Amino acid sequence: MRPPARPSRVTGVLRAVVGLPALLGLLAAQLAHAATLVITVQGADGKALQGAVVTAQPLDGAPHRPAPVKAVMDQVNRAFLPDLLIIPVGSTVVFPNSDSVSHQIYSFSPAKRFQLPLYRGTPYPPVHFDQAGVVTLGCNIHDEMVGYLVVTDAPYFGRTDAKGVWTSEVARGRYRIAIWHPRMRENQADLERELAVVEADHAELTLRLVKTLQPPPLADRPHSWDY
Amino acid sequence: MRSSAPVLLLAGLSLSGIAHADGWELSLDGRAVSSNADPSYTQGGVSGVRFDQDQSGLRLGRARFALTESLSELWSVHLDASAWGDHDRIPVGLTEAYLQFRPYPFAGYRLRVKAGAFYPPISLENRDSGWESPYSLSYSAIDSWLAIEVRTVGVEAQLDWLGTRQGHGFDLGMTVGAFGWNEGAGGFIAGDGFTLTDRQTPLGGRVGLPDDPVLMNFEPFRQLDGRTGLYGGLEARWLDRLVVRALRYDNRADPTALDYASFAIAWETSFTAVGARYEGANGVTAIVQALQGDTTIAPGGFWLDWPFKAQYALIAKTFGRHTLSARYDRFEVDTGVNNGGDGAEIGHALTAAYVFTPDEHWRFTLEWLHVTSNSYERQDAFNLSPLASETQVQLAVRYAFGSAVRR
Repeated sequence: MRPPARPSRVTGVLRAVVGLPALLGLLAAQLAHAATLVITVQGADGKALQGAVVTAQPLDGAPHRPAPVKAVMDQVNRAFLPDLLIIPVGSTVVFPNSDSVSHQIYSFSPAKRFQLPLYRGTPYPPVHFDQAGVVTLGCNIHDEMVGYLVVTDAPYFGRTDAKGVWTSEVARGRYRIAIWHPRMRENQADLERELAVVEADHAELTLRLVKTLQPPPLADRPHSWDY
Repeated sequence: MRSSAPVLLLAGLSLSGIAHADGWELSLDGRAVSSNADPSYTQGGVSGVRFDQDQSGLRLGRARFALTESLSELWSVHLDASAWGDHDRIPVGLTEAYLQFRPYPFAGYRLRVKAGAFYPPISLENRDSGWESPYSLSYSAIDSWLAIEVRTVGVEAQLDWLGTRQGHGFDLGMTVGAFGWNEGAGGFIAGDGFTLTDRQTPLGGRVGLPDDPVLMNFEPFRQLDGRTGLYGGLEARWLDRLVVRALRYDNRADPTALDYASFAIAWETSFTAVGARYEGANGVTAIVQALQGDTTIAPGGFWLDWPFKAQYALIAKTFGRHTLSARYDRFEVDTGVNNGGDGAEIGHALTAAYVFTPDEHWRFTLEWLHVTSNSYERQDAFNLSPLASETQVQLAVRYAFGSAVRR
């Protein structure tokens, strides 16, 4: 739960002038109490790290879970598209196969073990992800295919932009900030930080990885892993 | 009639299967060849390259049809048929044909089982479909030998620990194979020594011509004594960048076994192959590979053996759709104490190639190959100078189409 709304002068005026119902008042009150988190992620070399997953979990009050979503992860040209999705706990994901060849999707990650038998098109119902954690996806036919689902119970999440920055409007309070990247070599727990935004209207945190990232997958390589 | 059976079988399978096959591919590879070499084994000689001086001009490199079809959720079949345009008794033959069992990974481990005829997991350069090299036309001396007379006709199980799917940087693998019908393996090394070619002997195929004084048109894929050959290998991968492999192979043939009707001899052949391949983000690929072994025959009271070894180092650089590569090969066949020099050979080779793949259908390759070798057999059996320095230049144009064709 976010902090209870307290009537302010702004909402009072609004209510008096426009006579809007309580909904708008609540929104305005929340805006008045909202703050901005600015999280910057850098690689070990100090350069901006794009695409890092950032989650902000409130440490105060009752757990506030984000609403589940219905997401889609396609398979195009023997690759997952997008190759990474962040979804709230309880969400469902459809895995269509837009290729002309069949795929056979599996995960043996603790957060969700499943497999989709050999298919093309969209023959299967959505898969339900009810446990937080990183789910690594592979194809049993095409070993070069790798995809990631980050299933989170944090209400605020996203990925860093080209400048290595992720920002989010949040309710005031204390947060546990966690970051993850498919190629990082640190333990995720080592990169958790606590960040409070109480008085000021924003709080900033810069996280720098200690270890260099694993190199990215090769873009263009001969296609057979069998030989 | 015998030779048309696989063709008909394949044609039937292809007609029924192509419409909904998981993957099929038809390709034609034509060559313009300039060579100063003596005849190779396909022409009854002992040259170190595929095409001799009389074959300079336009040649068929390879015509190939391959099909991969899922039979059920976890089973699939792969057939690879080729024609090479030379004097094999099988004009179109299967170079590989196998069933594959591919259960789902479980708890981080994955099993793959193959049954049929296929290459043991040794080569680090021949990674393209059809067991071709993306870096050059001619295979290394090691892989040329495998192409000529080594094939697993049996069962292979590969167990992988998929660390890269569990947040680690590496995968580990273990392979075990059990096979028969490869007791001819070794005969080519002892007779011709090493050569650099891209011709793969089809199943049931013969090596050398009937009037060849050394090879006598022998069959490498043959079983004489009922013994099972074995191999075991280990593999480690770091991401998709580095592969390290080691494999110990022993066909466990009875070297005294002899088929009196055909004069076929069982060659007891064992070897160890190790290698590593590194691929960098800058398009650079580096491969080193070494093979060392021994082949023995002991028919009718004789006991003859030939220790052999070969190594190569390859460096390739890819710029978009262009690849330049250079490879250096060394090879040596020694002669056992009883052989009196028979079969001894030492040599080395340099290969330089430029490969241009404008799209998924076309591939153009220009390759220069120079082999220098000193062979006892060249003098003893063919009355030629033992020392040969041969150069073969090939321009290849390959067109491929089918649902499996891709960049």
